[in-house]
Amino acid sequence: MTRNSKYLVLAAALFQAGAALAAVDAAGFEKNVKPILKNTCSGCHNAAVMSGGVNLLPYMDPSTVTEDRPSWDKILEKIESGEMPPKGMPRPPQAQVAALTKFIHGEFDKADALVKPDPGRVTARRLNRNEYKNTIRDLLAVDFRADKDFPTDDSGYGFDNIGDILTISPVLMEKYMSAAETIASRAMGADPLPKKPLEAAYDKNRGLRRLDFSVVEASHRVDFDGEYIVRFGFPGERAADAKPVKMDFLMDGKVLGTLDVETKPSKLVYFNPFSDGEMRVYLPEGDHVFRAAFLNDDFVKSIDPKDAYNDKKNKFIGSITFVGPFPSKVEKASRKKILICDPASGQACVERIVANLAHHAYRRPATKQEVASLMKFVAMAKSSGQSTEQGIQLALEAMLVSPAFLFRIERDPNPLDAEKAHRLSDTELATRLSYFLWSSMPDDELLTVAEAGKLKDPATLDAQVKRMMTDKKAGAFADNFAGQWLEIRNLDSITPDPQKFKAWTPQLKDEMRTETNMFFEHVLSENRPVSEFIDAKYTFLNEDLAKFYGIAGVKGPDFRRVDLTTDQRGGVLSQGSVLAVSSYPSRTSPTIRGKYILNNILGTPIPPPPPDVPALDDSKIGAEVSMRKQLEAHRNNPVCASCHSRMDVLGFGLENYDAIGKWRTMDGKFPIDVGGTMPNGKTFQTTAEMRTILLASMPQVSRCLIEKIMTYALGRGMQTYDNRSIENINKTLAADGYRFQTLIFEVVHSLPFQSRRGETPVTKQIPAPPSKKEIAAK
Amino acid sequence: MIIPKALPRRTFLRGLGTAAIGLPFLDAMAPALRASSVPGKAPVRMAFFYVPNGQIMDSWNPSYEGKFQELPRTLKALEPYKNDMLQIGNLTHNTGRALLDGAGDHGRCCGSYLTGIQVKKSLVEIKNGTSFDQIVANEVGKQTRFPSLELGMEDARQAGDCDSGYSCAYTNNLAWRSETQPMPPILDPRSLFERLFGKGQPMTPEERLRQAKYRRSILDFVIEDTHKLESNLGPTDRRKLDEYLSSIREVERQIERAEKDNKNIDPHMDKPYGVPADFAEHFKMMSNMIAIAFQADQTRIVTFLMTREGSSRAYREIGISDGHHPCTHHRNQADLMEKVRKINEYHVQQFAGFVEKMKSTKEGDSTLLDNSMLVYGAGLSDPNAHLHEDLPTILLGKGGNNFKTGRRLMARRETPMCNLFLTMMDRMGVPTEHFGDSTGRLAGLDMDGLDLG
Repeated sequence: MTRNSKYLVLAAALFQAGAALAAVDAAGFEKNVKPILKNTCSGCHNAAVMSGGVNLLPYMDPSTVTEDRPSWDKILEKIESGEMPPKGMPRPPQAQVAALTKFIHGEFDKADALVKPDPGRVTARRLNRNEYKNTIRDLLAVDFRADKDFPTDDSGYGFDNIGDILTISPVLMEKYMSAAETIASRAMGADPLPKKPLEAAYDKNRGLRRLDFSVVEASHRVDFDGEYIVRFGFPGERAADAKPVKMDFLMDGKVLGTLDVETKPSKLVYFNPFSDGEMRVYLPEGDHVFRAAFLNDDFVKSIDPKDAYNDKKNKFIGSITFVGPFPSKVEKASRKKILICDPASGQACVERIVANLAHHAYRRPATKQEVASLMKFVAMAKSSGQSTEQGIQLALEAMLVSPAFLFRIERDPNPLDAEKAHRLSDTELATRLSYFLWSSMPDDELLTVAEAGKLKDPATLDAQVKRMMTDKKAGAFADNFAGQWLEIRNLDSITPDPQKFKAWTPQLKDEMRTETNMFFEHVLSENRPVSEFIDAKYTFLNEDLAKFYGIAGVKGPDFRRVDLTTDQRGGVLSQGSVLAVSSYPSRTSPTIRGKYILNNILGTPIPPPPPDVPALDDSKIGAEVSMRKQLEAHRNNPVCASCHSRMDVLGFGLENYDAIGKWRTMDGKFPIDVGGTMPNGKTFQTTAEMRTILLASMPQVSRCLIEKIMTYALGRGMQTYDNRSIENINKTLAADGYRFQTLIFEVVHSLPFQSRRGETPVTKQIPAPPSKKEIAAK
Repeated sequence: MIIPKALPRRTFLRGLGTAAIGLPFLDAMAPALRASSVPGKAPVRMAFFYVPNGQIMDSWNPSYEGKFQELPRTLKALEPYKNDMLQIGNLTHNTGRALLDGAGDHGRCCGSYLTGIQVKKSLVEIKNGTSFDQIVANEVGKQTRFPSLELGMEDARQAGDCDSGYSCAYTNNLAWRSETQPMPPILDPRSLFERLFGKGQPMTPEERLRQAKYRRSILDFVIEDTHKLESNLGPTDRRKLDEYLSSIREVERQIERAEKDNKNIDPHMDKPYGVPADFAEHFKMMSNMIAIAFQADQTRIVTFLMTREGSSRAYREIGISDGHHPCTHHRNQADLMEKVRKINEYHVQQFAGFVEKMKSTKEGDSTLLDNSMLVYGAGLSDPNAHLHEDLPTILLGKGGNNFKTGRRLMARRETPMCNLFLTMMDRMGVPTEHFGDSTGRLAGLDMDGLDLG
């Protein structure tokens, strides 16, 4: 009960720390605000009744509009959403309500115009696992799976690239040391391959996992970069008229090659029917998951499951064997990147090589002094009797553990003065851009433009941003931003009940991820309006996923844009990925889905539940009572109702999708009832109608997305002083039809993205440890 | 001196079997199997095994106090070791309670479990206290290659809020090196293996020395670099680099120790590949390596997160397809409670396998278990109501032939869990007067009697 009032007090205290405040137009307040507050609100929200823990009497004072803005934000939000006054209470005429909100917004704008713009500051960020992996790829052309090898990065504000949160533990430091050795050695090609190729075979008794009748998977450690022959054993045979199938071979979800496999009986005589096939592929060192899959394998769908591995009735993938490594015929790309001249030609070339590496690794030109101290490693290796190349390798190792590589550090001319803001240097800006859009280092073009000082020029900057958004590497933005914004990274950790959800396979999971990623990339690269995240008349499907969705006419394993002809689906909230990560293993949860929409789409998170709230009785759902009845009982408790009425109505709007996103009209023996009434009184009957209502709240949805993208782009949480930038971006965005690229451009143009300031040191108060006396007294 | 043509990292392992596994990475640095060869007293080790989401208490607590008779259902698997076990009742973590911070018992109880500090409710400004294992590690850890090992089983790849406004850092980690620096657990048996035993390349002593020399030079280089960078940074940026420096120093210390004690350990096990899908197999690999690390005195302090607090893992291994956490909100429904009991039992069964390994490892005249304190416990008792009192706590081992085991003893109600920590710090040779919300030592572990307030 006291939670909200505590929030109001606390928020007020926080805000007062801000800048000087403008005087509020008292007469306007008297005319536009006070009457409603007094006649409509204060009947419940007074000191005695404190409905919802809120007492509005103190807010009759006009000065609170600027002094306690967070509370007024809340008040506005309740009024504008139509949540207040609640149903059944007298409502002032719409014109009066509009006058009130207009007045308050006007006062806010006035106050904002007076506040000195504050870009804020971002704490030095270390590369997170994904950034490290991508940076090594772009720096050295080495595929290093930092995402598997390094400890998980903690996240804050929903993202794992927040400067304040990214710490370095001794374990991680060890990993950095060890990774630097491994990577430098691999980049130089220093590890001699074994003289004879080795063989590693996987079959059903040795590590080959059968995902379904057509798909197998094996985890295999590739010990050397190099070429390998991968051989597939296909036991069995199918009917005489069976068609050949195509088989994809994938590493970590990426297709390495495709084979045609004949499935009808061969003329050859085996004791048991058998055939094989092979391909030669380049495999990078590391732990990988390999998968082989017969594509569109309709044959097995008609077969009796107990015959699936009967070699008289079926042909299937029985084994995968890796033979290698064989030296690759082409010179390693990494060596080409490093050895820009022949180190045998003399010291000048070696210095060029080291300076060039440091330049790229540090994302700015290396100083003479830095190059000189790196050259000492070359000398050290030589004095230990090693070659110049080995010396370069050692210098590279040192660069890869240097703070200049591991951290993105931005310089402040006045580090101890929070009042002095300054523009980032062009190279710092280039680094921000590349980690924002690519999760990786700037490429040569960007770095060159920046070092020539041309990034200050708006047209040049925009040209670079445009190029980067449409570059293949922007896929990292979908993976990392959308993966966290829409929480689809969690696809890997959810475990739908296989008894209840037989359609759920690793393949389907990957396809769902692909759909959402491609959809996101499409909206970005085609500059579609961000409203298409809420509702769109198209999506991206292959045959398998289309079948799961009940959409006919999509053939083959490749994903393509598919126009949606019914309103069953449209936008991310109808995509399997989002629906699956917002469910329990055995059932849907309207509450989780509702919370998901409030947090990620509308940007109005609800406060956490009070302690000791009874949970839902889920064993009975679908059997004895419907989910809706259960949750309605829950909402009879007024403490629960205040939030659940907001969450559940949205979640129920998605009840037509089961816990893995399949369309349904029944839950157990109860028909699904999707309809509901939003807090603002708007009602809907179908999930499509709910999407339409969400679309209508576009400025709010786009604001939420802007906040998320700003957080991700800057690596810090949004503060009160960022409001102005966010509002400005949202206005520009609205004027331009909410096009996604405009949003990205505007974020890049914004003050917080282009500038930073110093900070006022806070003297830390360390509480004295309790004395023995105090301890004894306890 | 042998000078190979390249800086080889390893040779191909397959075919070598498990014999003569060498140590490259921080590698070379393993002390020999020495604990047992040290004259005098064997060192005391401690480990914490944290299980999430509380316990069904009626199957955890026996109906009696004092000497163990038949163990309650959940602890059944520990029957063979009950004479090495203490069950301690009535320990409380007051700092796990809401205390005006509202919801988030899971985030809080795990965050404060080893720190006894009420963690800051925030998604970004993480603030806890130094955990007591790290205080011990700071002292005792100087004598071993790894001051402590932080291990776990469940991948923490999580996007978003972990519990009602508490950062995932509180539920992803048990050990805290400082109030802002959690120690993330190693989850992958392969990573742990490589950390303990190296990547499997036999190196000559010369190669090893050269590698150590290179590493030290690189560390010197980056320390110098960092100081240069730091000189004109603001305080928050500087704090980040200080964190980095302190980790560098830790790595340096390991290199030094390794140079002094430059021998190989034979782990007597195959190098694991990745994370096994099977929970029991995963636990077995991880816990076996803990036993080896203890035996070889590579470390004396381990913290182990069985799974994350609030975990919704579905235990299909034992036929439970609903998530652990949703099941624990059972509202006294028999079928859900039964599922949780099964999960509780399953966890204890895994732990019992580790106890067996510790007990069967001889150390001088006693066993490794006798010289250890293995605490197995949870940060909540009744998970349905999120209770923070009478936390499920058992302690196996005699802490260096010190404890009178084989009984259930009841502390006074509301005795701070931190009191147990103080007693354990004594046993570890790092006596302290106060930790977290302690009110004194938990007495009576080494004598008969029940009242331990």
